[in-house]
Amino acid sequence: MTTGLVSPKRCADSHGDRHNDGLKLHDLSLATRSGVRGVKASEWLIAQSLHQELKTHELQPPELQPNTLVELPGSRLLMALSTREFWLLEPETEAQASPIPSGHCAPGVWPLYNQNSHAWLVLSGEPRAEMMAKLCGVDLRIEAFPVGTVAQTQMALASVVIAHHLWRDEAVFSLFVDQSLADFAWEALQDAMEEFNSVQ
Amino acid sequence: MKIMHCPLNGPRNISEFAYGGQVEVMPDPHQCSDKDWASYVFYEKNAIGVVKEWWQHSPSSYWFIAERHNASDDILRTYDPSELFSERVDFTTGENEP
Repeated sequence: MTTGLVSPKRCADSHGDRHNDGLKLHDLSLATRSGVRGVKASEWLIAQSLHQELKTHELQPPELQPNTLVELPGSRLLMALSTREFWLLEPETEAQASPIPSGHCAPGVWPLYNQNSHAWLVLSGEPRAEMMAKLCGVDLRIEAFPVGTVAQTQMALASVVIAHHLWRDEAVFSLFVDQSLADFAWEALQDAMEEFNSVQ
Repeated sequence: MKIMHCPLNGPRNISEFAYGGQVEVMPDPHQCSDKDWASYVFYEKNAIGVVKEWWQHSPSSYWFIAERHNASDDILRTYDPSELFSERVDFTTGENEP
């Protein structure tokens, strides 16, 4: 467990140095994330230790609807991007340097390289949905995009996965963008946040 | 902005999609002539009417099928490929394989 994932360089808010309930952007790219994809991915997840944890939610991976996520014990999240692709997010666990997995986990199940392929940014505070409307065509207001839902879309014309979930008892947007676009996304978000500087 | 309905992700701006060609019956690559294979890969019928097309939602890399009128550009229906294809095509038994 670590709480030191967010470096000063990679934590920005929309109110300068004032720490209040305004928008804040965090970089969780050093936190752990993994995933599997394939026709047998849901069955493989059932066979893993996640099985018991999902039972506490009375959910099985096949019942996890695409573009939803559920919270697991240990501040972890299981996100379903389709019926064949699942990401496990561990925002409080620092990633370990480890070899990139090769080969399949099981027949019909392949590991994802999302630890390396995707940057992980977290947008917290209000009015994050209104701010994101500057960058993204999907309605992210709470009525249309409640906690526990996921949108795969574009943000500033870059592909992004947006997950609405609780982090440290606060509803936030996790934004996953291609690693090569991390700086672009960071700057685009900061630019969009600037408009809300005057919000009191 | 034109909106397309992705069967997986719902309505999205058309800029999020990429066209992938018409849906056609694939000839057996090991039995058909080069001309038939080239026709399948490179040519389209290009007749006016409702056509079935492959489209990809780029942010999720999800391929699906759309029925579109290629004169009016009206998208009539979109659906998962499993409605038409029940099994994966295996290309691993070609004569050039090691």
